[in-house]
Amino acid sequence: MKFRIPSTALGLMLLPTLLSLFLAGCKVSDLTPERLDAIVSSVQSIGKAARPLSDDEEYYVGRAVAARLTASYPLYRNSRLTDYLNLIGQTIALHTEKPTTFGGYHFALLDSPEINAFACPGGIILITRGMLASVKSEDELAAVLAHEIGHIIHRDGIAAIQSSRWTEALLVIGSNAAREFGPKDTAKLVSLFEGSIDDVFKTLVVNGYGRDQEKNADSAALEYLAAAGYDPQGLTGYLTRLEQAGKGSKGGILATHPGTEERLENVRQATVATVDTSSLPSRSKRFAEITR
Amino acid sequence: MKTTILVILLSSLLCLTAAAETVQVTTRENALRKDCRFFAPVKLKVTLGDRLTVKGRKGDWYLVSARGVNGCIHKSAVETRSFASAGRGAATGGASADEVSLAGKGFNPQVEDGYRKSNKELNYAAVDEIIRISVSESDLESFVLKGGLIQP
Repeated sequence: MKFRIPSTALGLMLLPTLLSLFLAGCKVSDLTPERLDAIVSSVQSIGKAARPLSDDEEYYVGRAVAARLTASYPLYRNSRLTDYLNLIGQTIALHTEKPTTFGGYHFALLDSPEINAFACPGGIILITRGMLASVKSEDELAAVLAHEIGHIIHRDGIAAIQSSRWTEALLVIGSNAAREFGPKDTAKLVSLFEGSIDDVFKTLVVNGYGRDQEKNADSAALEYLAAAGYDPQGLTGYLTRLEQAGKGSKGGILATHPGTEERLENVRQATVATVDTSSLPSRSKRFAEITR
Repeated sequence: MKTTILVILLSSLLCLTAAAETVQVTTRENALRKDCRFFAPVKLKVTLGDRLTVKGRKGDWYLVSARGVNGCIHKSAVETRSFASAGRGAATGGASADEVSLAGKGFNPQVEDGYRKSNKELNYAAVDEIIRISVSESDLESFVLKGGLIQP
């Protein structure tokens, strides 16, 4: 999803610059490697002026969001469960349109009885012990992870960042030609970064995603599950349990718009690919062995 | 004067041609594989900024070469590079410091460092722990097989 200047466009932008130099009386011998680098840098700065966050920037936002979440919810350190989570998550990720991210996908458990799951931008997915306890099979657990992977691939967390913050950040970035920012620019960017993390955190923890975002993440999850060989009905099972758990609760994953009931109805009506379910018992068996 | 402009135009064309045949690794680490599928044997490890010469396409995969090694890499791990990376050492497999600097401008480690200093309560130690979590390819392949899942 990165904004890139097509090579041809870049060439067209560069040519007038070079031609103007010659018209101004410059000679080929005047074009030192340093001058060429300066021209190239200027052209690249122009191209960067209207870009969205890049994958590596998304990674640093995701790290910060995860750092905030883990400050409130401690990690649940159980290598057997964590490995299991990562095996399921990586299997699904490899069947998506984005099997790799800048820093990769990583899955971890949070030590909380709440039923919750968080997709931090860039690829870190955190689920609570309460969520793990609420699902009844590997395919339901896979559905939870597939839905969160959908949010990451659709950049729903990043979309929560107020556009004015990023516009302002781009002005700072574009105005600085040095390799490192000076103290003033750094302070400005840190402040804008902090505001961006607040935006994402608020969406993940307090307000929840929007109606279309949830619907699209569910649709994507159905596709990913089927592509990986998991039973897409796992998503129905997971949402049913979420609906039951949601009675009387609010906040986090239960604060989504639409509510779980509407999501469940959407998923039930969706056209789902048929998958071979003959291996369901063996997956259920290993789920029971690992999670008991 | 005419000759000079012609030389510049030709140089630009050569640069653009080189750019069209080059992709750059956009993930922190990745691999060139023997065949165009996940779990195929790894022939060469590549890292962020490495430049790869494109030999062809096969579905969602690029057939590329780097450091004398031919292999496949998934399209989601690379991007086509523009002028700056095309003209300088495309065959060496490494981005210049300038390119890395430009690519890393914005929300980067310097900004993260400032954010961490002003928010001491954040648990970056836990994040680093999460980032270190990994499962081996052989374990993943075995997991897929034993669970009756589909090979990616």
